[in-house]
Amino acid sequence: MGTNIGVYYHVHTSKSFFTLKAEVPKENPRLKTLIDIHPGALFHELEVTDLIGVVFEGNEFHGHFVLSENWPDGFYPLRKDVDPSKVKLVPTPEREANKAAEGRQVKIIIGPQHPALFEPAKFSVTVDGEIVTNVEPRIGYAHRGIEKTTESRTYMQDIYLVERVCGICNPCHAYGLVGAVEKILKPDVPERARYLRVIALELNRIHSHLLVLGHAGLEIGYETIFQYFWRDREPIIDLVELTSGNRIYSSLITIGGVRRDITPEHIPKIKSVIADLRTKLPFYRKIYNDEPTLRLRMKGIGTLSREDALKLSVSGPVARGSAVDMDIRKDLPYEAYGEIPFKEIVYTDGDTWSRMNVRLDEVEESINIINYALDHLPSGPIRVEVARSIPVGEAVCSLEAPRGELFYYVRSNGTDRPDRVKIRTPTFANIPAFLKTAIGESIADVPSNFASLDPCFSCTDR
Amino acid sequence: MAGAKTWARTKSPWVLHFNSGACNGCDIELLALLTPKYDVERFGIKLEPSPRHADVLLVTGCVTQQCSERLKRVYDQMPQPKFVVAIGACACSGGVFEGNYSVVGGVDKVIPVTAYIPGCPPRPEAMIDGIIKLLNAINPPKKQKQIQAPRAKHTTAEVKQDVKL
Repeated sequence: MGTNIGVYYHVHTSKSFFTLKAEVPKENPRLKTLIDIHPGALFHELEVTDLIGVVFEGNEFHGHFVLSENWPDGFYPLRKDVDPSKVKLVPTPEREANKAAEGRQVKIIIGPQHPALFEPAKFSVTVDGEIVTNVEPRIGYAHRGIEKTTESRTYMQDIYLVERVCGICNPCHAYGLVGAVEKILKPDVPERARYLRVIALELNRIHSHLLVLGHAGLEIGYETIFQYFWRDREPIIDLVELTSGNRIYSSLITIGGVRRDITPEHIPKIKSVIADLRTKLPFYRKIYNDEPTLRLRMKGIGTLSREDALKLSVSGPVARGSAVDMDIRKDLPYEAYGEIPFKEIVYTDGDTWSRMNVRLDEVEESINIINYALDHLPSGPIRVEVARSIPVGEAVCSLEAPRGELFYYVRSNGTDRPDRVKIRTPTFANIPAFLKTAIGESIADVPSNFASLDPCFSCTDR
Repeated sequence: MAGAKTWARTKSPWVLHFNSGACNGCDIELLALLTPKYDVERFGIKLEPSPRHADVLLVTGCVTQQCSERLKRVYDQMPQPKFVVAIGACACSGGVFEGNYSVVGGVDKVIPVTAYIPGCPPRPEAMIDGIIKLLNAINPPKKQKQIQAPRAKHTTAEVKQDVKL
């Protein structure tokens, strides 16, 4: 932006969105921090400081938050006048955070390579006896610089790139970018495509929820439940393959519609598979309700109160497990969600058990949504032709990914490449909840508490 | 004695999974290998949490700046003989992230790689096929006893020619 840097605060209140815009001079970009008013802004400010170099007074830090440790200080890759490929890396400095704990406290490092985490992330957990007294996260092990790379590729290429932010919730990322671009371009997306998108997003939600319900079992040493859930996840993955052609990366959603249609022969197949899954849900509910192992390791663990959930601006099943009734599908309906009846699942206890039960109930709701969408599938085309260049403008797109609210901001400059793409992923917003709830509890409960957030570090780091 | 060691290693390779900055796509497919539908334990393959006990290192994802040092350290901690399998397009070459500012590139830029399994992500059958090809290369079995991965006709996993224990 020439001599100034624009700092945008996108605020999602109970029902609506608003954006605050501030500008700071590039020579000395300083703003006052918001964390005294809203603690949930902590991570977002740290990320902006690290990648763009805007300092938030009251929330300064030394070292790197997302970038690698050997990245030079004072070199901000997301600034427009910076070519990050010309960076001269420095030897890894010794940071304060890497020093050992003092006194009778012991520091336990979890990660980056750890059997409980299938992704690289580091948590330095300080314990006094068995009780956790402090948790310091270090993210950025999977930071691939996707936000910067989107600026050098066309919108069509960017759909495939942002899908690869996260392999688990990839249709959500594709929809995030497409939804924001479509708000600028305003193409006439066919009705049938809007329903097909809902089916793709809900199939994704079912597979993601089954994945974490099983993974949570693995974290407490209950491997049987892991094998059961993953066995039942495979037919859903087969449905994704049936409707999109690939098991993981569906690449179904594109600007102006979807790429593939669901044929009349597919519909009975999809219905029978999800009906099968529905018959298995009471069994899983029984396990989560009655199984003493699960209850002992999940009831009352990692309790997040409603006030804290609002303060830390957590989203998705974590918020709904803490009695916060927010679901973007209901609050700001996108695609065909406004026309499809479904229940919003809210649990009030705020513990690990509630968060897992929110997901279990949402699987059933997703089955209902898919059934309704298949019954009311409009006829007609599935895609309209759109221009390759997008007119000047900016737009946000917010959607309910399996892990919570996924937020995309796109600014276009009239060419076929975006000027800026900002991705706020749900796990990025949910990690502060773990940092709060882990303190004061046993070190043995850290994995199950953490898994209940359904963490995804490839999303977090981008 | 050496024959017995080779036999034990190829009949039950212990694998270590390392995510060097992947998007989770390959990781969940790798995890699906352990679950009832694919169940690689029938080939004696066991996922091992510690590098000190592992024979094969399965790396998913492009290598990021922050992870490259750690990947090298994990590789150094593994005992000889050790083999590295790069799983997915990103681990093979950097994939869609090639050229990004915080990405070093494929796994072979940091540590030597024995076998490559391309795909984004490779199907579980392709992963089984790649690992089996590696095992057959380590200990070439007699023709009629060659293990065949099921339904792996269209996979393209490649193993380097000079694999030795």
